[in-house]
Amino acid sequence: MTTTPKTRTERDEGGTTVTAPSPTQPQTETPSTDAASKTGRGKKRAGAKRRTGAKTPAAVQAPADEQKPAAVQAPTGEQKPDAVQEPKPVKGPRHAAPEPALRITGLRKDYGDVKAVRGVDLTIAPGEVVALLGPNGAGKSTTVDMILGLAKPTAGSITVFGKVPYVAVREGLASAVLQEGSLIDDLSVRETLGMISSLYKDPLPMDEVLRRANIEDIVDRRGTKLSGGQRQRARFACALVGNPQLLILDEPTSAMDVGSRRKFWESMRKFTDTGRTVVFATHYLDEAEEFADRVVLMRSGQIAADGTVAEIRALTAGRLLRAAVPGATADELKKLPGVTAASIRLGQAELHCDDSDAAVRALVTRYADAHDIEISATGLEEAFLTLTSDDDASQDDTRNTEDEAA
Amino acid sequence: MTGYLAIEIKRMLRGPRFIVFAFVVPVVMYLLECMLYKKQTIPHSHGITYSAWLMCSLAAYSAFTSSMHTTARVSHERQIGWHRQLRLTPLLPRTYLLTKVFVAMVVALPGPAFVALFGWLVQDVHLSASGWLQITLGIWIAALPCAVLGLVIGLYVAPEQQQMYLQGLIILFGFLGGLLLPTTGFPDWLVNIIKVMPSYWLADIGHGALLHDTRALVGAAVLAAWTLVLSGAVVLSYRREAARA
Repeated sequence: MTTTPKTRTERDEGGTTVTAPSPTQPQTETPSTDAASKTGRGKKRAGAKRRTGAKTPAAVQAPADEQKPAAVQAPTGEQKPDAVQEPKPVKGPRHAAPEPALRITGLRKDYGDVKAVRGVDLTIAPGEVVALLGPNGAGKSTTVDMILGLAKPTAGSITVFGKVPYVAVREGLASAVLQEGSLIDDLSVRETLGMISSLYKDPLPMDEVLRRANIEDIVDRRGTKLSGGQRQRARFACALVGNPQLLILDEPTSAMDVGSRRKFWESMRKFTDTGRTVVFATHYLDEAEEFADRVVLMRSGQIAADGTVAEIRALTAGRLLRAAVPGATADELKKLPGVTAASIRLGQAELHCDDSDAAVRALVTRYADAHDIEISATGLEEAFLTLTSDDDASQDDTRNTEDEAA
Repeated sequence: MTGYLAIEIKRMLRGPRFIVFAFVVPVVMYLLECMLYKKQTIPHSHGITYSAWLMCSLAAYSAFTSSMHTTARVSHERQIGWHRQLRLTPLLPRTYLLTKVFVAMVVALPGPAFVALFGWLVQDVHLSASGWLQITLGIWIAALPCAVLGLVIGLYVAPEQQQMYLQGLIILFGFLGGLLLPTTGFPDWLVNIIKVMPSYWLADIGHGALLHDTRALVGAAVLAAWTLVLSGAVVLSYRREAARA
């Protein structure tokens, strides 16, 4: 038993490069990926995007457009995401021959006055591994619930492999490891799996489930005897029993220590290597970077950005220039050469630059008393923070950018 | 379905506390109460002894408490998110609910028989064969609304509060509803009020075995009505949960 997983792992390591997804990916990704990858990433794209951005939201690259300015200042998302997302559902599905693994159209969910999800359109092709990022309250979990038929959308529609969510779940097409949701304490993992197995018409054989979920070691323990990480792996096993084509994970590793996380993602690789579709919500950006082909960033119930990890990272691939610039306003700083967006936070200017060299020269020339200058590269985390930040400063920025673009 | 039922019954049998409360407590209370009333007969009852009367009451009490046993499990399962977990499987909500009621009924079966056994062996109560059937099987079937009531409480009440609800019900049903004390000494107006309770009729099914009267039909009607109303509450709760999630 020990040997089998091992060899598997090794094999997986080779296949880790997300083999499965790539063939199918282009189909749905076309709108955004095209724009991004063909234009090349980084600076050029940034420019191009900004030009198109505000004016022609319907353009094919709309998502990309959106992202760049948004990257610089989250808020663009505020008004435009609707426009921005539109091309996707329209385009993707029509050209994609096979039924998408997941198609979400105009999805909304209100809890009383709280608008948890405010218009999400998303199409995911079979085989894609998609990370769903966003701060708490961005609407990730609500969206996940609706994808699984656990919550009813206020408006909009969802299909999973062309079927209504609850039908897809019942038929074993889709399954999930949710954030909350526990195992029964007085049953052993094996008993729980056996029971769930008896509910499916055509379940995976138990041995297969255990091997895939990497839980041979804990299968005879009762729920009470499991650590957080073990429990989560056991729940992953529960999700595998029905042999799903689409697996949804809502912060699957939040209760895990480092070791458990590694083990978990190891088994997840095995799973995605078989060409299954995975959508996972996470707070760990490194997980998204490492495992996802595509990143969907949510903010305030909408999609703020959608693209490959590289693309998203490229949104802020410029440099971030921080400096104390007494007396300067974000507006003025924005106009410096090489600067794509500017904001002032806690008395410190934050300039997103596509040419930080030009920017820093101009800055010190024009503002002689600028000090504490610091230039840093931006990564996915930076992209995440800027794309999802909600504060006023960045809202101002948005307007600025839009003005300029217009 | 059968897989789910099997696992539920297995779980039930693993709870030793449950066995104590469902089987041992009613018997002990029966024996205690018999000591209290000694060998007296109930006034104006044509010679029915308290020990016979109480046997019927406590058989009903046993069925009542054990059938309510699902309550804790259901509300616990709801809280830890097991319901959500199950909703990610092909298990239909109604299968889950029916299984819970079914299990409640299964575990409600031995209790009355246990009390009856002690009544016969220890307290020397004599009944006709149909009388014995009535206080075992009859009470068991009549416990159906209690099983559904247990499910309702489990679905509506959080685990921290359900103990309170259960205690309240035991007091209400047990003492007023005629399960723990003979209602023979109650004033008429009170008896009229408690005739609304399912427990009164549950006990009445048992007492019918002694009285040889035919009120069982009225009792069956009241109990069926309770079952219907409570089932409605179950459906409502599950719909609500499904919509809200």
